[in-house]
Amino acid sequence: MLNTFGTRALIKLELTRALRNKKFLFFSVLYPAVLFLIIAGNAGNAKIDGTGLTVATYMMVSMASFGALTAVLMGNSERIAKERESGWVRQLRLTPLPGRGYVLAKTASAAVVSLPSIVVVFLVAAAVKDVRLDAWQWLALTGIIWAGSLVFAALGVAIGYLASGDAVRPITMIVYFGLSILGGLWMPTTTFPRFLQDIAKWLPTHAYAALGRAIEESRAPHTTDIAVLAVYFVLFAGGAAWLYRKDTLKA
Amino acid sequence: MDDMTTTAVPAASTTEVVGFDQVTKTYGTVRAVDGLSLRLHPGETVALLGPNGAGKSTTLDLLLGLKQPDAGTVSVFGTGPREAIVAGRVGAMLQSGGLMDDVTVAELVKLSCSLHPRPYKAADVMARAGIAQIADRKVNKLSGGQAQRVRFALATAGDSDLIILDEPTTGMDVSARQAFWATMREQADQGRTVLFATHYLEEADAIADRVLVLHRGRLLADGTAAEIKARAGARRIAFDLEGAVDAAALRALPFLTGIDVSGQTVRIQSSDADATVHALYGLGLYPRNLEVAGLGLEQAFVAITEAEEAKQSC
Repeated sequence: MLNTFGTRALIKLELTRALRNKKFLFFSVLYPAVLFLIIAGNAGNAKIDGTGLTVATYMMVSMASFGALTAVLMGNSERIAKERESGWVRQLRLTPLPGRGYVLAKTASAAVVSLPSIVVVFLVAAAVKDVRLDAWQWLALTGIIWAGSLVFAALGVAIGYLASGDAVRPITMIVYFGLSILGGLWMPTTTFPRFLQDIAKWLPTHAYAALGRAIEESRAPHTTDIAVLAVYFVLFAGGAAWLYRKDTLKA
Repeated sequence: MDDMTTTAVPAASTTEVVGFDQVTKTYGTVRAVDGLSLRLHPGETVALLGPNGAGKSTTLDLLLGLKQPDAGTVSVFGTGPREAIVAGRVGAMLQSGGLMDDVTVAELVKLSCSLHPRPYKAADVMARAGIAQIADRKVNKLSGGQAQRVRFALATAGDSDLIILDEPTTGMDVSARQAFWATMREQADQGRTVLFATHYLEEADAIADRVLVLHRGRLLADGTAAEIKARAGARRIAFDLEGAVDAAALRALPFLTGIDVSGQTVRIQSSDADATVHALYGLGLYPRNLEVAGLGLEQAFVAITEAEEAKQSC
């Protein structure tokens, strides 16, 4: 009871802080929608190769996934690394807050920011590019992209506990752009050379966006995509937990 | 003492705040804490004194469960450190403890209150720590002294029985320091046990009922400030002699722990000044300008650690 109360107080404060950070809000909430307009802006009703989706419909899922990825990955990895270094993580260990409460609060506050970043892309796509889907599809899309972002939240926590100081930003950037671009969030992987396509289909971002597209096409998602995402989640969450424990013993 | 042995409940479990039993912590080849045993009792205000690298920070980390001992046991209120913290019995500020960025002082103090099982009102906590005027300021815009006060507020956000302070007045000017210790005394007066590490020896002298001197991870001395001074040769005797000074005869004086002869002036450190002066007259000497003064804790401290170092180098 008490512990959840404390964790809730920390989530609230983390959230207040995230909402105060204009730069972070711009890049996670507005930037994906802006990028969507740039990429899909002049596209007509042509279909993307290998799918029955228009560029706008296709890119809507990509950019919503990209926005969620930004919100959960960028904020957490750097904050955690910095707060480990500044000693805030140590200070929290002198309180009754359970050790996991810190990670939980970080993940929860990131999830709260990632939701609007998904919804804003949907709103812009529907209003400006006339993307039309059934009500269940909108809801399922929001749900699946939001839930799937947990995979990358775990990755953000893992990087935060792995890297320190000056290293955390470049590592985060490489992972972030690497996953975004190679996973096909910025452009369909069908435009890639063959060897890159082979790499791309094993990336979590590729599987992540593929789940959303399956909903747009009103079909069941490929089991491979679900399996890929699940394996990455276990990997990232396990890695984060292991690094967290290592850090706790060392500090 | 006898009645303790007749009580059914072991005295240690009811009256002991902190217990270290043969605690050792090693980093590589360095023994940061070396077979340390100590007990803290309710209501004590204890200074942990020692030069840099003496093992103060490691001792506090072990006490707070941030580090695990390689050998020996650490107990806080009869349980492990983490259990005591979760029960809200310990409030602590560490030098290495950072603060959350981009939030206000008030928001941070409120968070600490929410985390404590028996919290005080945030407004009261801030008033007591002297940070009410900076409540709306961002935490990352504070001066060193202000940040220390915020840390103190976090350590005293609830009704804890043991307060741990690691070099709490670092970065404060003299008046801020005095105000801080007045605040801290209130904590002690409410019956709390306070343990603070410091390198300001006058603070240990003025504030602590008990001083623990740590050197190379071992407890060199444990007593009141007065006892520590006594241990190092508590009194300094200075006088002038006429004629030739017989240094050998002076060196044979009882209770003498140190001597320095320069020209006609003799300076002696003695663990029993009365006896030493009495024997001085007994030698038939007539000391002029005789002065007997107490040794400051700082000098006592230097004397104890030097004696220890000399012992180790033999």
